[in-house]
Order: sequence, then structure tokens, then C-alpha cells
Amino acid sequence: MLQTLADTISDYAIIFLDPNGNVTTWNKAAERLKGWTAEEIIGQHFSKFYPPEDVAKGKTELELKTAARDGRFEDEGWRIRKDGKRFWANVILTALRDKNGNLLGYGKVTRDLSERRRTEEQIHKQAQEIFEMAVVPVVQVWEGVILVPLIGTLDSQRTQQLMERLLNKVTETSSPVALLDITGVPAIDSQTAQHLIETVSAVRLLGAEVILTGVRPSIAQTLVHLGIDLSNVITRASLAAGLRMALNILHLNVVSHDSTR
Amino acid sequence: MNHAAISVIKVKDTLMVTMPSDPDDSTIAALQERVLESMERHAAKGLILDISAVETLDSYFARTVTETAQMVLLMGGRTIIVGMRPAVAMTATQMGLKLNRIETALSVDRALEIVDTPPKPSGNHRQ
Repeated sequence: MLQTLADTISDYAIIFLDPNGNVTTWNKAAERLKGWTAEEIIGQHFSKFYPPEDVAKGKTELELKTAARDGRFEDEGWRIRKDGKRFWANVILTALRDKNGNLLGYGKVTRDLSERRRTEEQIHKQAQEIFEMAVVPVVQVWEGVILVPLIGTLDSQRTQQLMERLLNKVTETSSPVALLDITGVPAIDSQTAQHLIETVSAVRLLGAEVILTGVRPSIAQTLVHLGIDLSNVITRASLAAGLRMALNILHLNVVSHDSTR
Repeated sequence: MNHAAISVIKVKDTLMVTMPSDPDDSTIAALQERVLESMERHAAKGLILDISAVETLDSYFARTVTETAQMVLLMGGRTIIVGMRPAVAMTATQMGLKLNRIETALSVDRALEIVDTPPKPSGNHRQ
């Protein structure tokens, strides 16, 4: 009966172990999840499913002991398939005892959480990126000139935040010029360029001008090949050239004290 | 039509208008009429439109402002928008609202300077 039930469950690998940890039953889902057929695995020790470093640490023995002592043991961690590939699993180990309390073996339910783990990792990565974005400084480099050094890839969300910070800072400091430095942006695609153009338009609506600096040769090439029209945007190769342009817009001159130079 | 909501102030040869925070359609329509009347009466060089109180910019307002600017231009004046709020600028950009051929300035002071300088052929784009 139990075997039939175990076989009809497809999302959980349900197996039974004898008191020493050797596999005694093996359901279809276990076969799918772990790769071994029942014939191959029955009678083998369940440490086969664990990464060698975990086995070396005595993790499998500890799990059995804990389950025997507490009745139940739950764990999340890496497990191994027959082909050697790892997957992230949730494992529940339950001690099975007869009426007199003698240990008959263990029931083991394993669930593949690789998908969930991938999603979690992705969310974590995105959160990290957002955090990094939040600490991107908007600094005033001169009276009336603010600088935003952009680092990392620009997606819609980051552009939104960038725009917000930049626009607020322009209004706050009442700076007629904003330098947007893209030296730290690894690559530009048409969407990123579109985001930049949007940012520039928004800043213009406030009555300030944006100078896009740090346009490296590779970025210039990409922009032209993608057919992105930045002719309405002031662009400069270096931040220094951009700052010079900014001072020019503000009708400021940098004069050397040494008149012989 | 109720024109009371809009007052056009003439400073030297520049017209100045401050928009109320939540202009309704009739106020927006009044803006155009009052501005054009004043342009004719004072032969002004430019219009400074202070929208620092405006919290939302809808498409009707954007279109009226653009049209009015074109009309003012036909009558020989420039239009400079002053004090757009960051949130408004962001929405305007994201909605793709265009304020074509309109100049913008951070402050009225700066706008007055712009009115006194000769217009650039490319509109608001400094190169």
C-alpha cells in the first residue's frame, strides 16, 4: 500500500532506509530526481546522494542519529544525482519504529528546490544591484555642476532611480549642468541608450543641460552601429572634457596663475 | 470664461505667468488667450511660464503649452518654462509628452537672462 502511494507521488522522492542507512525502497519520483533505477540503488548506502565533502564530515551519520533521537530531521542542501550533477534539495528524514519502539528504519522525503534556489539567488543578486545603485553618488563638482558616475549595467529600474536622484539633485542644488559619466558602464545596447536619452530629456525639462561623458571608442562604435541618434545630446570622451564644456556653458574660464604658461 | 485664475505680469518686455497647482481645462485655455492678448498689447520679447506649483502635467496642458509657445514664437517671442518639478519631468518623459521647441530654465532669474540673449537656431538644444 505504502509503496503504491509512494509511487503515485511525483514531486517528492520517497525512499525508505534500513537502520544502517541502506536503501530499501525507491519510488518513481526518486528515480526521476536522482537518476538511479531501483535495481541500481536498493541495498546501497544513502550517502551516495551526498557530496563527498559532506560525507567526509560525517553528515549522513549525524542525520541518522538526529532522526533517531528526535524522530525527525530536516535539512536543505546540495545533493548529488547519478550523473554527478548537484541539485538543491529539501530533505525530511523520519525515524520509523515499531510498537515497542525498536528502530525499523527511516523514511526519507526529498524535494528538488533548485528552481526556488535559482529564483532566490536571482532576487538576491537584483537586491544587491539595487543597493549598489542606491549608493551611486550624485556629487556637486562645481557651483552649478553636478556629476553622476554611473557604474554597472543600466536597466529600466536603475534608470528610474538614477533619474529620480539626478532630477532631485538638479533642483535642490539648482545646477544648470549635470555630467553623466558612463565610463563605468560595461556595454550599451539600444535600450540602455534609450534610457539615457530619456534621462537627458527629463533633465532638460527642468531647465538644465546634461553632458554625457566617458564615451569610449567601443561605446561610440556601438552607438553608431545601433543607429542611435544622440545628436541632441552633448557627449564627450572624457570627464575632463565634459567638465570643460560645463564651465563653458556657465561662461566660466579656467585661468592659470603662471602667466608664462 | 473665467480668466481670474490666470494673471499675466509684464516685467520690462517679458511676460510672466505663474500656473496654479492644479490647473483645470478652462484655466489652461485661459492661459493661451491671456498670453496672446498680452503679447499683442505689449509686443513682448518672451514669455516666462512658472510651473513650479504644478504637480501633474497632463497631455492637454502639455499640448496647450506647446501650441501657445508656437503662437508666441509666431508673434516674435520666446517661451521659457521655469521650475518644473522632478516628478513632473519624470512622468512627462515616461509618458513621452513632448514640449517641443520650448526652452526651460531652473529659475526665473536664469529665464530672464535667456530672454535677453539672442535665440539659438536649434531651439532649446545647446551644442
